[in-house]
Amino acid sequence: MWYLPVLIRNLLKGPATEAFPFAEAWTPPRMRGRIAFDPGSCALCRVCARICPAGAIQFEKRPDGLEFNLWHNSCVFCGLCTIYCESEGLHAIPDWHLSHYQDEKFDLVERAVVRFEKCSGCGKQKMPAPLPLMRKLYPGVDAKEMERLRALCPQCRKAGEQKGETP
Amino acid sequence: MTLSLGPLLSRLSARSPWLYRINAGSCNGCDVELATTAIIPRYDVERLGCQYCGSPKHADIVLITGPLTVRVKDKVLRLYEEIPDPKVTVAVGVCPISGGIFRDSYAVAGPLDTVIPVDVNVPGCPPRPQAIIEGIAKAIALWRSRL
Amino acid sequence: MPEFLSPVLAVAVFPGGLFALALGLLLKGIDRRVAARLQRRVGPPLLQPLFDLIKLARKETLVPETAVTPVFRGAPVAGLAAMVLAAAMIPIAGVYRPDPALGDLLVLFYLLAVPAVALMLAGSASGSPFGAIGFSREMVMMIAYEAPVLLALLAVAVRGGAAEGRPGCLSLSAIVDYQMRNGPLLLDPVLWPALAAFLCFLPANLGVLPFDIPEAETEILEGPLLEYSGPGLGLFKMMAAVKAVVVLGLAITLFLPNGPAGAAGLALFIVKCALFMIAGVTVTRTAMGRMRIDQAFRFLLRWPLAFGVIGFAAVLVRW
Repeated sequence: MWYLPVLIRNLLKGPATEAFPFAEAWTPPRMRGRIAFDPGSCALCRVCARICPAGAIQFEKRPDGLEFNLWHNSCVFCGLCTIYCESEGLHAIPDWHLSHYQDEKFDLVERAVVRFEKCSGCGKQKMPAPLPLMRKLYPGVDAKEMERLRALCPQCRKAGEQKGETP
Repeated sequence: MTLSLGPLLSRLSARSPWLYRINAGSCNGCDVELATTAIIPRYDVERLGCQYCGSPKHADIVLITGPLTVRVKDKVLRLYEEIPDPKVTVAVGVCPISGGIFRDSYAVAGPLDTVIPVDVNVPGCPPRPQAIIEGIAKAIALWRSRL
Repeated sequence: MPEFLSPVLAVAVFPGGLFALALGLLLKGIDRRVAARLQRRVGPPLLQPLFDLIKLARKETLVPETAVTPVFRGAPVAGLAAMVLAAAMIPIAGVYRPDPALGDLLVLFYLLAVPAVALMLAGSASGSPFGAIGFSREMVMMIAYEAPVLLALLAVAVRGGAAEGRPGCLSLSAIVDYQMRNGPLLLDPVLWPALAAFLCFLPANLGVLPFDIPEAETEILEGPLLEYSGPGLGLFKMMAAVKAVVVLGLAITLFLPNGPAGAAGLALFIVKCALFMIAGVTVTRTAMGRMRIDQAFRFLLRWPLAFGVIGFAAVLVRW
């Protein structure tokens, strides 16, 4: 008979059900859901593709750069890529509205082309140098100097350092 | 009379979709999340008229979890055949959709949609209970059109 | 209206047939709704059992290759027919008196065994091993709950009839008449053991937790119902709904039939059905887990049987 008080309490408290399919559901603000990609902060190091346990991240060659593909239908939300991405281009965002009909199956992909850049020093093709990564490499550098460094390829930066141009 | 009654009956019977789970070699993560949609008061899938049934012959919406391993493939096909028409298939989790982390294994026979027709996909590893309910709601909408 | 038509109408429309089916579906809806509320859920709409039935009628029928087709298709029809007939035998005080031609308490008692037999037939004819397990469990349950409830019924019959000077009067109408004059038997302490035995029988006969062992969907996949799809399953659901009305109506007839005449009496009957459903079925089924078959067998042959014997003996001593 010990369960009767529990049942009566439940009856008095009323349902605890979310109204979800008929109304918006509450989502924790820091929930680890879909992975979002910011092409402006990609250094094209491709660690994410190597580290992804599900093989959801793939890079494809394009004439002017590399195409980043993240297949949500393979991603397991482990968040390894967000940890390994030093340039902070990958983030887990609190979005879980991923269910879809079969005809949309191959549309669920985070896709962006990251373009190669030209080195302002030697003029050769180079990988982009995103700001969050460069801030970690060169702490305490002012904005103008940072822009100059970002436009250089690693070889030119190294050569400049040897000449004593940079801090 | 029959002309006006038919659509009404369809609409009413669309409010009673019974769910059936098939575990096609899943790690049980998705199955636990499926159980939460029925058992935990917060998600209560019975509100939509759904009910988890024990027999494939009672089912309307079949929820398949797991990457479809080689050993379980024939059994899944047989169970799928035993579900009376009209039916809707929902692939729950990334495993049946693409293979997930087991994709290139020699023991995996699928993505599921190469073997049986899949109607709704709910990616996630495992998907949130709300995401599953969203997928079930989509499946119900599709099922209504098939009745 | 010809004389012979009134029992036919009673079986087909009121209070058997359509009325009993509608009331049974409503009771199932109330049961599911209240159970959900007791678990802090919202629960399905009140008419959900009706939606289920409409849906099942529109589904495909699959008959397994191993099944004995005539028995497989006939079992649900037989069960439903017996229950519809039984529903016409339940008196509603002030509203309906069953025709004596329909039968008395003993006939009702045997009709109540038909759904269980139909389930057994269905389970054994379906050719599925789970059906066979369900069949054997159903039989064990039936053996276990029949004896106590028979004793409880006899106790009420003797008590109701003794005051009339006709001990052992098995007419349900006579029992109702007795209570209309002398107050409900619910308030008669001599019959409380019989009431306890009947309350144990209620979930066992209706096949709900903790006694839904023959149809346990999580262990033997709904046992005898496993192979049924579409209309056949719908017939079984209808049978279960009408059976709920019969068993609850029997409980009301035996222990609390009093009510005014006319529409108010009918409304009171429906309310009493719902209350008995909630108290005797919904609360137990939300609060308890499933017993094992041996536990259930031992429980049913210990407590309800003891209550039944005590109740019957008490009635005999008082008489």
